[in-house]
Amino acid sequence: MNFASILPGWRRFWAQELLPTLADLRLAILLLLSIALFSIAGTVIEQGQPVGFYQANYPEKPALFGFLTWRVLVGLGLNRVYSTWWFLALLILFGASLTACTFTRQIPALKAAWHWKFYDQPRQFQKLALSTTLVRGQLPGVAVALRQRGYRVFEADNFLYARKGLVGRWGPILVHGSMLLILAGSIWGSLGGFMDQEMIPQGETLTFDHPLERGVWARVPHDWSVRVNRFWIEYTPDGHIDQFYSDLSVLDQDQQEVKHQTIHVNQPLRYRGVTLYQADWGIAAVQVRVNQSPVLQLPMAVLSGVQGRIWGSWIPTQSDLSAGVSLVAKDLQGMLLAYDGEGKLIATVRRGMAVDLQGVTLAVVDLVGSTGLQIKADPGVPLVYLGFGLLMAGVVMSYFSHSQVWGLETSEGGYLGGRTNRAQVLFERELMQILSGLTLAEPAVAPSPESGKTD
Amino acid sequence: MTLVLLQNLLDNCAFAILLGTMLVYWLGAAFPRLPYLEGIGTAGMVTANLAMATLLAARWLEAGYFPLSNLYESLFFLSWGVTAAHLVAEAMSGSRLVGVATAPVALGISAFGALVLPETMRDSAPLVPALKSNWLMMHVSVMMLSYATLMVGSLLAIAFLVVTAGQSVELHGSSVGTGGFRSVAKLATSPAPREGSVAVLTSTTATLTPQRLTLAATLDNISYRMIGLGFPLLTIGIIAGGVWANEAWGSYWSWDPKETWALITWLVFAAYLHARITRGWQGRRPAVLAGTGFAVVWICYLGVNLLGKGLHSYGWFF
Repeated sequence: MNFASILPGWRRFWAQELLPTLADLRLAILLLLSIALFSIAGTVIEQGQPVGFYQANYPEKPALFGFLTWRVLVGLGLNRVYSTWWFLALLILFGASLTACTFTRQIPALKAAWHWKFYDQPRQFQKLALSTTLVRGQLPGVAVALRQRGYRVFEADNFLYARKGLVGRWGPILVHGSMLLILAGSIWGSLGGFMDQEMIPQGETLTFDHPLERGVWARVPHDWSVRVNRFWIEYTPDGHIDQFYSDLSVLDQDQQEVKHQTIHVNQPLRYRGVTLYQADWGIAAVQVRVNQSPVLQLPMAVLSGVQGRIWGSWIPTQSDLSAGVSLVAKDLQGMLLAYDGEGKLIATVRRGMAVDLQGVTLAVVDLVGSTGLQIKADPGVPLVYLGFGLLMAGVVMSYFSHSQVWGLETSEGGYLGGRTNRAQVLFERELMQILSGLTLAEPAVAPSPESGKTD
Repeated sequence: MTLVLLQNLLDNCAFAILLGTMLVYWLGAAFPRLPYLEGIGTAGMVTANLAMATLLAARWLEAGYFPLSNLYESLFFLSWGVTAAHLVAEAMSGSRLVGVATAPVALGISAFGALVLPETMRDSAPLVPALKSNWLMMHVSVMMLSYATLMVGSLLAIAFLVVTAGQSVELHGSSVGTGGFRSVAKLATSPAPREGSVAVLTSTTATLTPQRLTLAATLDNISYRMIGLGFPLLTIGIIAGGVWANEAWGSYWSWDPKETWALITWLVFAAYLHARITRGWQGRRPAVLAGTGFAVVWICYLGVNLLGKGLHSYGWFF
């Protein structure tokens, strides 16, 4: 079998089987609802926990709903729904369906709306629900009324065509196209970007050597770094956190400053496609002076197993290290608690003050903060943002209803009819107003038919 | 403080007015011949809407930032949005049935805010650092408006389902323009000339009169239009949140439960909009989807916070 003989068969399969299936609206609805359903699963089942968590919460016996054991759950990837192959496949299929739908439905619909025709037969008006007979000579008045209501009116001989809201036919195409842009942008971002989270003590320098996540095409910068000059927290008068600040310097290979910026939440630093966000904070160290010693900097560590976050350090009070006190802080406001070896609170001390403990004088010089930085490079963002912009424009455009009105005058009399694709109620009102504004003859109105019989 | 007194007065007022308004709408539906009820219902909705707007404005003055930082403010903003969307839907449809469905929901939300929520939850608290951004106003207010509009659309779909219980119906309004065509059985072909329109008629032309929409079709179309209005708002709200998240912490999408549920809401209503143009799915089926959307919006708005996880868990008591 050569290539040429396969091609026609493939073409037929494409045109008659694959494309119609992809463009089938029922498939689109099925995809929309399946993505919704699996997303729900991802919000109900805790995502990204260690295996032990699922072993404890989804035991073999009794299995949840009779089947959902931790083995099934982890095996299917329900512990990380949004990055499983089947969820991504669903998204790609969704993109294919969007594309197929655009070409087989939306563009033909736009073309049909674009290439309008005058109605030249009375029977064409009989098909329209909103149609009526006119008296001869009324059509010009209709044209005036339509223009007043924002219609674009085309007139020729005895024919009239008017339309408005054609933008409503462009909207859905733009929506589909922009969603493809967003999907493409997010794929590009995950392949070409990287992400890292680092706790950097004040005064130290951040490099990008080992990002937490990196795409296969990601380029991690090695020729520049970021120094944390200072980290501080501003508090409101009643003790709530007002804002976190990090004073950062971008350094080139020779440690020369090339950019200087203070960042806070909602105000990141951007440099060469990499963005640094204020994400977290901690206490790196405490600076103390014991008796007449020089200033000693002792690291502080997060204490686990306590409510809230608390940092602690241990300071010896005997030269042979046989005794000491624990210094504990819960924020950078400068208040420290001192505990003895038995865990009893023995003193509180403020920054810049000294206290006598176990025979020594302990002076707290300062608390050194560390800043939690989120580092992110996402080359897909411009594409995604373009998609966002077009999507917003598209959904707004899609609200407009494409309204069309036809008119015809024959020797026997005139006809007027119209239809719209979305706003039936308002269009009906508009058309009835136009008709009632025609002075020569009031159009007779049929009683509302029962809805049940219209099928 | 006088502003606090004013707020207490206003939230109780809004609740009382909405209670009265709901009864008026229900009475009007039960006894359609009673005069003035329609006007009183609309006036009640307008008054409640203004009372809640004043309440929110007073909070804005008092706290100095857009009043959407805790559950109390958010509930009254939502209730305000429902009354606003109601007025739009009522003006579009000209049907008082709209209020029968929307008034109890607006009432329920404001009752929860004014009566159920403990006093301590109503105080405006300082914003946490992550919320100190102009995006807060943009993102949260647009989201709340979309919830309100979508809720009204869903309620009308439920009203449509109730009105058409046991019937099969043709839909009007969708992007491809199903509907708009005359149902053949209804074609007025009466050859008998009518008074006043004799000039139109000759023996060769049939009378052609506009085929008006039924009550069910009107409800359905207004439901579709309200959802059509809420859907762009939801889209813009989600995107504003995404852009804000990207500007604040470097990721426009992180599958946080709240944003995932916003996406689920978006998907459900997108499915509804597509179901309307699917042959064989028209009729009551899309309305069932839209009605389901009501529950989905509520889960997105409140239910997710029951999980107490993720970026959107502050400012709530759950």
